[in-house]
Amino acid sequence: MKKVKTIDLRVSIAGLELKNPVIAASGTFGYGAEYSGLAEPGDFGAIITKTVTLEPRPGNRPPRICETSCGMLNSIGLANVGFAVFREDKLPALIKKNTVIIANIAGNTIEEYVELAARLNKISDIPALELNISCPNVKLGGIAFGTDPASAAALTKAVRRAYKKTLIVKLSPNVSDIAGIARAVESSGADALSLINTLYGMAVDIKKQRPVLGNITGGLSGPAIKPVALYNLYKVHHSVKIPLIGLGGIMDHRDALEFMITGAAAVQIGTANFVNPSAVKDILSGLAGYCRENDITRIKNLTGILKC
Amino acid sequence: MMKKILQIKNAPILFHRKVSSCARHISLSLPAIAGTAEPGQFLHLRISSGSPSPLLRRPFSINDVQGDRVSILYEVKGAGTKLLSKMLPGETLDVIGPLGMGFDIDPQKREHLLVAGGMGLAPMGLLARSLKGMKLKPELLYGCRSSAELVKPGITGCQISSEDGSCGKKGLVTSLLLDRLRICRDPAVYACGPWPMLKAVAGICHKNNIPCQVSLESFMACGVGACQGCVVKNSDGNYVSVCDKGPVFNSRQIDWDQDCVI
Ligand SMILES: Cc1cc2nc3c(=O)[nH]c(=O)nc-3n(C[C@H](O)[C@H](O)[C@H](O)COP(=O)(O)OP(=O)(O)OC[C@H]3O[C@@H](n4cnc5c(N)ncnc54)[C@H](O)[C@@H]3O)c2cc1C
Ligand SMILES: Cc1cc2nc3c(=O)[nH]c(=O)nc-3n(C[C@H](O)[C@H](O)[C@H](O)COP(=O)(O)O)c2cc1C
Ligand code: FES
Repeated sequence: MKKVKTIDLRVSIAGLELKNPVIAASGTFGYGAEYSGLAEPGDFGAIITKTVTLEPRPGNRPPRICETSCGMLNSIGLANVGFAVFREDKLPALIKKNTVIIANIAGNTIEEYVELAARLNKISDIPALELNISCPNVKLGGIAFGTDPASAAALTKAVRRAYKKTLIVKLSPNVSDIAGIARAVESSGADALSLINTLYGMAVDIKKQRPVLGNITGGLSGPAIKPVALYNLYKVHHSVKIPLIGLGGIMDHRDALEFMITGAAAVQIGTANFVNPSAVKDILSGLAGYCRENDITRIKNLTGILKC
Repeated sequence: MMKKILQIKNAPILFHRKVSSCARHISLSLPAIAGTAEPGQFLHLRISSGSPSPLLRRPFSINDVQGDRVSILYEVKGAGTKLLSKMLPGETLDVIGPLGMGFDIDPQKREHLLVAGGMGLAPMGLLARSLKGMKLKPELLYGCRSSAELVKPGITGCQISSEDGSCGKKGLVTSLLLDRLRICRDPAVYACGPWPMLKAVAGICHKNNIPCQVSLESFMACGVGACQGCVVKNSDGNYVSVCDKGPVFNSRQIDWDQDCVI
């Protein structure tokens, strides 16, 4: 009988070792405990927690979500419990799970980002940070830093000084030149990039002649944005040397493969968690199957093998 | 105790029939969920597995549980429910459940008034069954638009109202409630239906100092409290997620002055 070959699913992102390349995207897997019984934090290579800010935020007025063709709009508005509750109430349970924790942060000012980064630098159970400079649903902070190379660079530099572990910056597709932002962030000390966050979007209720979302506009995610995400990944892959984490509309292992082949060292899944909480397990077994069929023993060897 | 939430990828449809001009009743074989489901909880259905449209799951109250079978009662609203209405016995659905916090039953209360408007009838089947299981007597007050839309409730002790007077008493279900409250000694109210009806029922109960629980609706993505997409404003002015803190709330916890979110 032929032995089934085991595939090495481990990946490394700027020194951050993950047992597999599938990561839960910020804002879609809460703080890890919510999906109990459906998906476990330990299934993922890493969990990126919901964006946390210094103070709690209530978020935007509802309705906050709406389905659109092959995608969804959200205008959550970074509703979160604030750093103190995150550390005291949310983190202890997540630390016990067998996964890598990446904290995602946002602030209104550079000083707020730096303060959060400094506090996280001291938490040994969190080996990496993802800077959210790309949330389209808040007026201050977030995307204000992500659409201009100089602001993105200044923020990254300031956070880099306060944060000694793996620093990931999450980029927005709502820009004319994502490669320029990526280069600015790389030269300011980022260790890796995540891309993409959601695209600006909107939907109208024709019966009420009003926007569907309470916030009027929202961020588009899901299968609808996958081609945009791949294009952005492709562009950035040719512009920087630091590792890339790809996301945007990944629903199954074929989608994940497209991102890895295009240049992603790892992938994140967001909207897929809502649709199919076992997506992480399904994707991992699909990735292993693909590797077996194609005689690839280490999944990391897939990254960037795109033939053009 | 942690509540056990399951994803059943292939729940077979046992039967599926039209029960009024707009409503359908679908019964699923769900032994693992049937055992733990409580009245007021809901199922999150993926209507087209493998296709990106409709993408998100759709929430539906558990209508009833009999043995291994769990049923829902639904109305065709848009693309998702239209697709659902075409599914046949033998086909399967991807189900997550049981989700959310259901109705609390206070056995000390003398009268248990189940107030339903339209599809708000859905959770009342299992609620009535649970009340009877506790040797309590459910009384259903059920309002619909017309006799064509009336779903046979299958609950003994039922009063009906219709907006056009084609069945039961002409008018709104709130007038049935007001009539009934006049002769109640120590009632509890359980309500499900459109927001304006729930608001009116809550108003009546607050005025008369009667405990009232309402089952709310909201657009949902995760269904488990992770995304904060389904929130409503509570009476403290904070946002609470309907999927895990609700869908059933004490009516005093809700800010009834906010715009309806659906
Ligand atoms: C906890 C809960 C329990 C529910 N129980 C039932 C039930 O037992 N029976 C039943 O018929 N319906 C129930 N609903 C409503 C049901 O989920 C929606 O009617 C359904 O999602 C519509 O899907 P669609 O694709 O057909 O419509 P869509 O194309 O998505 O939308 C059509 C219209 O349906 C309405 N709608 C969409 N999503 C929701 C939603 N989540 N809640 C309410 N209205 C919505 C909107 O007004 C929208 O304009 C419940 C909703 C919630 C939140
Ligand atoms: C409901 C919802 C909430 C989100 N919240 C956050 C957040 O707090 N921080 C963040 O960086 N991204 C957030 N995102 C963006 C996702 O992490 C991800 O970048 C985006 O959804 C694209 O991936 P997907 O198509 O796989 O969902 C959110 C997305 C959704 C749908
Ligand atoms: S639907 Fe995600 S929190 Fe309620």
